[in-house]
Amino acid sequence: MKNKFFLMIFLLLVSVASFAQVDRSKKPEPGPAPEIKLGEYESITLKNGLKVFVVSNNKLPVVAFNLVIDRDPILEGNNAGYVDAAGQLLRTGTKTRSKDKLDEEIDFIGATLSTSSTNVYASSLKKHVNKLLDLMSDVVLNPNFKQEELDKIKKQTLSGLAAAKDDPTAISNRVASAVFYGKDHPYGEVETEATVNSITLDLCNQYYKTYFHPNAAYLAIVGDITKAEAQKLAEKYFGKWKPQDIPKGEFATPKAPLVNKVGLVDRANSVQSVLNLGYPVDLKKGSEDAIPASMVNTILGGSFTSRINKNLRETHGFTYGAGTSLRSDKLVGQFSASTTVRNSATDSAITEILNEMKKIRNEKVPDSELQLTKNYLTGNFARSLERPQTIANFAIDIERYNLPKDYYKNYLKNLNAASSDDLLAAAKKYIKPNNMYLVVVGNAEEIAKNLTRFSITGKIDYYDIYGDKYDPNVKKIPEGVTVDKVLEKYVDVIGGKENVEKVKDRTMKLKGSAQGMDVVVEISQKYPNKIYQTVDVGGGVFKMNTVFDGAKGKMIQMGQSQDITGDALEDLKGNAMDGMLDYSKYGYKTELAAVENVNGQDAYKVVLTSSSGRKSTQYYSVETGFMIRTINQISTPQGEATQTTDMDDYREVEGMKYPFKITQSFGPQSIELNVNSIEINKNLPDAMFEIK
Amino acid sequence: MKSKIILLLFLFSAAFIYAQTKKIDFVQYKLDNGMNVILHQDDSTPIVAITLLYHVGSKNEDPQRTGFAHFFEHLMFEGSKNIPRGEFDKISQGAGGTNNANTSQDRTFYYQVFPSNQLELGLWMESDRLMSLKIDSVGVETQRKVVKEERKQRLDNQPYGTIFEETFKRAYKVHPYKWLPIGSAQYIDKASLQEFVDFHSTYYVPQNVTLSIAGDINIAKTKELVKKYFGDIPKGTKEIKRPNVVEPPLGGEVRDTVYDNIQLPLVLHAYRVPAQGTPDAYALEMLTNILAAGQSSRLYKEVVDKQQKAVAAGSFPYFLEDPGLFVVYGIANMGISANDLEKSIQSEIDKVKKDLISKKEFEKMRNQKETEFVSSNSTDLGVAENLANYFVYYGDANLINTELGRYMKVTREDLKRVANKYLNADNRVVLYYLPKSMKKN
Repeated sequence: MKNKFFLMIFLLLVSVASFAQVDRSKKPEPGPAPEIKLGEYESITLKNGLKVFVVSNNKLPVVAFNLVIDRDPILEGNNAGYVDAAGQLLRTGTKTRSKDKLDEEIDFIGATLSTSSTNVYASSLKKHVNKLLDLMSDVVLNPNFKQEELDKIKKQTLSGLAAAKDDPTAISNRVASAVFYGKDHPYGEVETEATVNSITLDLCNQYYKTYFHPNAAYLAIVGDITKAEAQKLAEKYFGKWKPQDIPKGEFATPKAPLVNKVGLVDRANSVQSVLNLGYPVDLKKGSEDAIPASMVNTILGGSFTSRINKNLRETHGFTYGAGTSLRSDKLVGQFSASTTVRNSATDSAITEILNEMKKIRNEKVPDSELQLTKNYLTGNFARSLERPQTIANFAIDIERYNLPKDYYKNYLKNLNAASSDDLLAAAKKYIKPNNMYLVVVGNAEEIAKNLTRFSITGKIDYYDIYGDKYDPNVKKIPEGVTVDKVLEKYVDVIGGKENVEKVKDRTMKLKGSAQGMDVVVEISQKYPNKIYQTVDVGGGVFKMNTVFDGAKGKMIQMGQSQDITGDALEDLKGNAMDGMLDYSKYGYKTELAAVENVNGQDAYKVVLTSSSGRKSTQYYSVETGFMIRTINQISTPQGEATQTTDMDDYREVEGMKYPFKITQSFGPQSIELNVNSIEINKNLPDAMFEIK
Repeated sequence: MKSKIILLLFLFSAAFIYAQTKKIDFVQYKLDNGMNVILHQDDSTPIVAITLLYHVGSKNEDPQRTGFAHFFEHLMFEGSKNIPRGEFDKISQGAGGTNNANTSQDRTFYYQVFPSNQLELGLWMESDRLMSLKIDSVGVETQRKVVKEERKQRLDNQPYGTIFEETFKRAYKVHPYKWLPIGSAQYIDKASLQEFVDFHSTYYVPQNVTLSIAGDINIAKTKELVKKYFGDIPKGTKEIKRPNVVEPPLGGEVRDTVYDNIQLPLVLHAYRVPAQGTPDAYALEMLTNILAAGQSSRLYKEVVDKQQKAVAAGSFPYFLEDPGLFVVYGIANMGISANDLEKSIQSEIDKVKKDLISKKEFEKMRNQKETEFVSSNSTDLGVAENLANYFVYYGDANLINTELGRYMKVTREDLKRVANKYLNADNRVVLYYLPKSMKKN
């Protein structure tokens, strides 16, 4: 009892005492700043020109080797993908090791060995390091590219391309690059089924032979190893590698656009829009601007507390996350703001991003925010040093970008010297809210309308997933659909071949209005292509008769008679009652040209070409099969003009279906006509169609 | 970005200390209020990782409030008594730090990594949100929107994004593993402010958290600071609910098809397997090495490389605190049907059931495991997290030094035995993910 009581008092005292010690309302002050020491690295250059950097770190009994090829970008053109394929082929066998053998030997020592077109990476426990280098150097020096392995890689790549068709982020990255840099630039070109199919073993071999040389390479060795050990190993395994000059590449540096441009990739099933707003920039690593520009990016969108993430995520709840990146590059860099937002917030999110970009260009960053940013970047730098690879990367960068040897040693000093004026100058130079490509992947039906306001012209450029522009009203023809199938379906839905053939003559009476006047039209046709047509506007204000007997035609306008000749006569000839059964019978060639959107429905576009080369166009609804539009060129005294006729409201008359609503437009005018009656097989006399 | 959900909770990486590897020394103790503390000193870089493992995840949720634990994780960044809303991350970054958190079925894990002179700041921040989190409607409403976008981004707008949700809801009928940490948006909308307050006072209490710190620290000084900031936080008084549900056997194969916005079919087999840390779990994890580690592994070599039926094929254990899943999957190459792919995958499973693996393959697998262990624990954050995991799940933080021994106990016969015991049709869910265009109306 007593003891227990004592204990309680004791506890009470402790808790009171410790409570008294803590003033939680005050943020604790940091202790003295620890010295941030950059680990050392050793440089060795082999006789063949291979530059070796060694970072010794014995925390773990592991050694990693990273071989990097330093070359200019390559434009792959019609074979886009071959450089990547060559990188993958490196891992598929050597002159003395099949792929199976290579895989087995790597895995047996629990190692990692991966390759790409510009690097080969290998790591293992220290005790296996000789075996590891035996394998790695064999891969680098004695590859043996085989057709069957290339075929596998191509197949995998094609499947990968297929999979990416439904990945909105993959689409966004690809299209944004194509738009920012242009598809004829190494950074903008796009792999497609066609380019992957054109990759040859020869191209891959050529790539390897041209670029894999020690004088163009760096080898970073990191881990539980001394300089002396590393040098011995590098010489033993890479000393015999033969040097050779590698070619340079010269490319244009794409510029930011003069005005904002909106690019949209329509992904109908998207429940979020993926935004990628950016432009190419000219920013070099190690340049005077590099540090202030990177600070501007950090403040704008480069961290969790950045202005754009705070705005879009914490203030508006549009997204799970938003950010920006500013990439420096030897050739051409890039700024981009990216996020994924719900459909309805697409335009608001763009507005907010543009506003934040404008603000950082126009207003100095407050001192507190500047200091916070310096602290944050200092912390990032310090934390990055935990990985010994960081020092190796610094060594490579210094060499590759020709930086001063003490660039990274002075990095923190330079970072902390940057003023808000320096940042403002960098922002004005690199942040361009009025010169952006706004690339959006999302549901066009829901978001397109609200995107037009970001484009000065009010126009949106539609891109397919390969970064090619297209007209959204034009769609791809599905596989297996041919012009014959389209016409067969049409014949089918209007009543079938037998019924079409049964119709020997037909009289159609239509009524409508134009410019406030009644329009009455009567068209009589007799097999195969005879026509008698009367048009009456406003009860006699304007009258026109057209007659065609199968060979000659005449038009009588307000008493004036005129022969129909040339193209117009040609058109009449082709207008046969059973033409749709076999247009070739009347000398027409038919072609299925596209799928286009007509009055809100997808339609097959069929182009007819007469024996004399006259073209006319018909549209057949994909869904119903009916003809819903024709487009004809008409000769007028003012020259050629386009006449569009839309057909709707198909109804059945004696086993056949006819459109009961016909809308004809000619330039700005349009007339809507409704069918009042259709009479079939009334034995119309031939005399009716005679030319007098 | 902040607040990741761990979808694939691979058995946390641990370090086996082989002869030439340094042992990871640590100090472990308990505060009077029940809070567990683990400290590890490593001066090689002047930084410190501060981690807090709260032993609460989606399995502690009410079925009518799925997604609650993860949602709550978001609220933990919304401010506390002495840290106003919107300041938490600013303070952290302003001190050169980085931070994040994630929620799994079993735990919610928070971390910050600072330059080592900011240790006290980190402890102040973490103790403040443990002791006196502020929960208000502004924060809740904002995070409701954010979490809905998170769900869309990860699951709904992502090819195959719903795969684990679809798998778990078929693999479990009664256990709360039947839903994922991301949960359902609709339930989060229903939750009231009071529910969030109750959740905090139930699960965010000293006896339910393990504070694990690794880096450039002085152990004695750190102990003092931990006591200063955490010592006077009162012990929680509410009952901590831990589900005590035993999921009955699956009782026959569950086979289903999901139509998604994808191009390439995906086949997934998910077998029900015992909890992490059990002897059979170690054997099963070794088995995934045989099937899927490296380009000489069986699934890769046969299905991807030789037969070219898949762009990717593999296997991984989805081990959890309670019995979990063993997943085998393949994504078909173009022109290959799901059925065809499944046959090839099945044939590899049949082989490990029928034949003992060769001694050479066994040795390869052990070598791979050794490298995996030795290579982990390369960062302070990784060490802190692993120490906490080992302690919370297995009650022994020292497994960070000794766990490889458990793997090395596994024999070739064990591999064949567990394959036959668990990798059976009546113990699995089979899912096909097919393009929507293949759906018959």
